[in-house]
Amino acid sequence: MRNKYLFGGFIIVLFLGFMVYLFTQSNIKYESNFVKVMKEEKVVRATGSWVREKNYIMDTQNRIFSFYMADENGHEMKVIYNGSMPNNFESAKSVVVTGEYKDGFFHASSILTKCPSKYEGQDVQNMKTSKL
Amino acid sequence: MSSKAYALYKKDFYSELRTRYAINALVMFIIVAISVILFSIGNEKITQSLTSGLFWVVIFFSAMSGLARAFVSEEERGTSLTLHLIAAPSTIFSGKLLFNLILVFCMNIIIAILYAALFDSFIIKNFALFIVSFVLGNVGLATASTIIAAIISKAGAKGTLYPVLSFPILLPLILTAVQLTLLANQGASFGDAKFELAIVFCYDVIMLTGSYLLFDFVWKD
Repeated sequence: MRNKYLFGGFIIVLFLGFMVYLFTQSNIKYESNFVKVMKEEKVVRATGSWVREKNYIMDTQNRIFSFYMADENGHEMKVIYNGSMPNNFESAKSVVVTGEYKDGFFHASSILTKCPSKYEGQDVQNMKTSKL
Repeated sequence: MSSKAYALYKKDFYSELRTRYAINALVMFIIVAISVILFSIGNEKITQSLTSGLFWVVIFFSAMSGLARAFVSEEERGTSLTLHLIAAPSTIFSGKLLFNLILVFCMNIIIAILYAALFDSFIIKNFALFIVSFVLGNVGLATASTIIAAIISKAGAKGTLYPVLSFPILLPLILTAVQLTLLANQGASFGDAKFELAIVFCYDVIMLTGSYLLFDFVWKD
């Protein structure tokens, strides 16, 4: 009788742990090659950087934000996002967009921006000479 | 043990055919819910993710309206003491679970057929994935609702307590099942849905072991 509860409790804990682990996993994968993004017909996270030469367009009336994005090999694609521009978009080093490539545009459902840190370390020589 | 459980299932089945309480409640709920959704959508084009969400909303609430019957009816007729005498707790749970499983499967097959017939955006592209997720989801739904029905059958306000208690327990199942239905409708492969399938499988195993362990305490009173 005792054994039954021990065994059952063990199974429950084991599968519960497995389930919690699986919940943290995500099916959406990161893709830094835009040629693959364009071929894939499902939701992906595309990583790249904003092409500064081609300006972004913010249509405030229809709440559509669009810009060009380039990956590390220089392939470009146009990203369309329903919503307002993220605050720190202009200073972003790299951009991660989640969405799907359809009809020649990348339809993003969310935009993540990665900004350069304010707290860059000084080099060691400077740190030694500067007295606080 | 299994013959006794089958006898209990048969008893429930015939008494259900005679009174048709659960069947009527389920059919009325399904018809009302789906027609309200259809009228409110009108000519609007709705997305696939919305349809698979609505699909599981209807399944959840129709399960809530029909499945509590298994144990509540025993309490209402005062036959639960007789059941105590006849069989072991695990046997009783097996019989009730079998009955609820059959009920859930019939109900959900009807809902799936109605959805496939009436909604433009509910097109199952990967049929095998849909069947597997459907079976796993239904087993989880039936097991969880059977043990919850046993817990609430002795309480006062059964009607309100049942959905309230079920919601947090069924939430992980419903969320994953919505994802799986969406993936099957988008035509994703088994490889794309392996995480979701594993989650639903784990949920089923946890619910089955948990309810067989805990039913002794629920039943012994």
